[in-house]
Amino acid sequence: MIEFRRVSKSYNKGKVKAVDELDLVIKPGEIFGFLGPNGAGKTTTIKMIVGLLKPDAGAIIINGLDSQKDALKCKAMTTYVPDYPAIYERLTGLEYLNFIGDVYGVSKKDRIARIEKWLEIFELSQAVSSPIQSYSHGMRQKVVLMAALLPAPRVMVLDEPLVGLDPRASHHLKEIMREHCDQGKTLFFSTHIMEVAEKLCDRMGIINKGKLIACGSMDELKKLNHEQQESLENIFLELTEK
Amino acid sequence: MNKLRSVVRVGLKVNFGLSVLRHRLFKEKKDLWLVPLIAVAFLGLGPTLYGYLALIKIAYRLLLPLGQQHLILTYGLLAGQVFVLIFGLYYVVSAFYFSKDMDILIPLPLKPFQVMFSKFTVILVNEYLTIAFFVLPVLVYYGILSKAGLPYWLYGLVIYLLLPVIPLAVVSLLVIGMMRAVNLSRKKDALIIVGSLVLIVAGFGLQFVLNRAAGASPDPRAMIRFLTAPDGLIRRVGAVFPPSIWATKALAGGLTARGISNLLLFVGVSLTIFYGILIMAEKLFYRGLIGLGEISGRKKALSRETMSRRISSGRHPIKAIFAREWRIMNRTPIFLLNGVLVVVIVPLILVIMAQTGSGKGDNAVLLRLMTSAKPIYVILATACFMTFCSCLNGTSSSTFSREGSQFWISKIIPATPKEQVIAKFIHSYFIALLGIVVASVVAVFVAHLKVVMFAGAFSISIAAAVALTAVGMIIDLARPLLDWTNPQKAIKQNLNVLLAMLADIGILSALGYFSVILLKRGIGGGMLFAILFGALILLSYAGCRFLLEFAKKRYTQIEV
Repeated sequence: MIEFRRVSKSYNKGKVKAVDELDLVIKPGEIFGFLGPNGAGKTTTIKMIVGLLKPDAGAIIINGLDSQKDALKCKAMTTYVPDYPAIYERLTGLEYLNFIGDVYGVSKKDRIARIEKWLEIFELSQAVSSPIQSYSHGMRQKVVLMAALLPAPRVMVLDEPLVGLDPRASHHLKEIMREHCDQGKTLFFSTHIMEVAEKLCDRMGIINKGKLIACGSMDELKKLNHEQQESLENIFLELTEK
Repeated sequence: MNKLRSVVRVGLKVNFGLSVLRHRLFKEKKDLWLVPLIAVAFLGLGPTLYGYLALIKIAYRLLLPLGQQHLILTYGLLAGQVFVLIFGLYYVVSAFYFSKDMDILIPLPLKPFQVMFSKFTVILVNEYLTIAFFVLPVLVYYGILSKAGLPYWLYGLVIYLLLPVIPLAVVSLLVIGMMRAVNLSRKKDALIIVGSLVLIVAGFGLQFVLNRAAGASPDPRAMIRFLTAPDGLIRRVGAVFPPSIWATKALAGGLTARGISNLLLFVGVSLTIFYGILIMAEKLFYRGLIGLGEISGRKKALSRETMSRRISSGRHPIKAIFAREWRIMNRTPIFLLNGVLVVVIVPLILVIMAQTGSGKGDNAVLLRLMTSAKPIYVILATACFMTFCSCLNGTSSSTFSREGSQFWISKIIPATPKEQVIAKFIHSYFIALLGIVVASVVAVFVAHLKVVMFAGAFSISIAAAVALTAVGMIIDLARPLLDWTNPQKAIKQNLNVLLAMLADIGILSALGYFSVILLKRGIGGGMLFAILFGALILLSYAGCRFLLEFAKKRYTQIEV
């Protein structure tokens, strides 16, 4: 579970409000999609969950623990996939996964089983012993995803995870996301692809200019909408055009 | 022409972070604290500059009656050009071939020579700043001493602006040729390191030749000895590296035919060589560059057994982070050259310079002095040499900066700042120890140090290295440079590395001063050793404690 309690974050000494008093609860077992135009505050929100940014005010509670006060425990149960896969280019894929396994304390047995499984699914077996430097953007994205899955975390936070993936890998990732939440775990992700959000998410939040302007399941969002729009894309366009 | 101007302007802005600096200084006001700090650091250079100017003055007064005072200019200009020739290599390799902005520049509708011109300009500006410390005092003070007229100052400006061109062009020529060959190979990183080492050795080989030609150190009396010899110094130096002689003759000649013709010769040759490099760039630059980043993997699936063997069985986070630091440092050519190899090369270079300089006799005197002096002086001098060699590299003061855009990983992993800092400390200290070991070899085999003295110096330097490693890490943690596109910026052009070096020199000088005062007050050698060792242990303890506390705070504060 992730709970935002009046979380705010601003830049430029308070001149630019990136996230403005966000109140939101993501329940266990839920895939939550976070939507919004460019610069609306999605990435800032995500970075605050994983500790890359510090909220100016409010608190983020992860499975009952304050992400600021119990930072290490929160980090141990959360993994993150950034919007750009900047990872250690001079390590091989396997060395990077080993590093992640070590710092998250994954046992050797689990490590072997999981790495073998994800390598096959993401078709990376041939490349895993080569330096990451030699990988394409999509391959790097797959390694980052594998690293996020390796510790079998209770909470996964993904920023635009489908960008750069081929259709097969995208399909597998969506299945993995569903599987993750079916085990009662939490998944929070941002996307610009409305069809994916519509089909995959249990609930969605739409953020605009730092404010959460709508939140709920697809049916709930439809009810919010006066024009009775059918598709998420139309609802999104109408809500964010102001 | 407009394109060229744009690409040069953008290159300068990106390299010197002008837009970012303006934003941080005047808008966010984040780096304002740096202004007084840098001012103090420069003030610290005051005594060195004073000594340098005094040397120039003495040399001028001694050479004036002989009418050979312009030799000071030859020395200053030659020193600048040799410096560019040797150290320009790092700048050229990294700016031409390791800058990530090349991925943006190559697809743009720009000709290779325009991209190369932009890169060359950036390096040129860098060199102006670097050689300013030893060339400008010579040019300016000579002008003042000789009460030079307007032509001298105008010539001086032109010569200063063109001074790095010829040596940089020579280095570029070698590097472009080397990279063309490197790019044909699969083992690119290894070849770059080997090639760079070969070029560095060649650079020092050249210095050796120049030393032999000059035959003298800048000692004014030695200069006079050579002037009275039938084979004048100027002709000997000029035979090896003529441009500095042309520049000297131009400056000394002023508006006479000799002055004008030499200025034209210097400017003409500089511009012709530069033009030649641009033509070559058009043909070879991209051939060495495109595909350099392509690293072909093995493309072979690992067997179950190999996979099981390679998957570690759960190392402690400190071990895992240490392994990461170690691998990344050793596999990134720029980091390896500037961090690890520097501590190995510098002591050896110092020895080579001492051996090849004019003064073999000087070494003998030095050794005699060392063996006859009080043992504590020998211990202190050797410890200072060892510590200096160990902390010259920027490993500790770039340890956070080197993570660059990957610092997000360190922020999200469940490893405490304490664990991360300990792993980084062990890595940096290990490199410092490597420097101490190499310096020890030099001390034992070259200076023939006695075992007791060596043991004393060794123990002081390993204690000092702990404190200085902590200081370097604290400086880098205070303002890590994480937004670089060229790894050179993280280590070689990182202001933190310079600040840490100044801090190291400050601490060592303070300890030296403190020791001299105690010795003057009649304290015994053994006692001083004990006090110094104790002070260093305390300093190391305080430094490490502060580092750990600071890390706890900074890891939360640094936002990426």
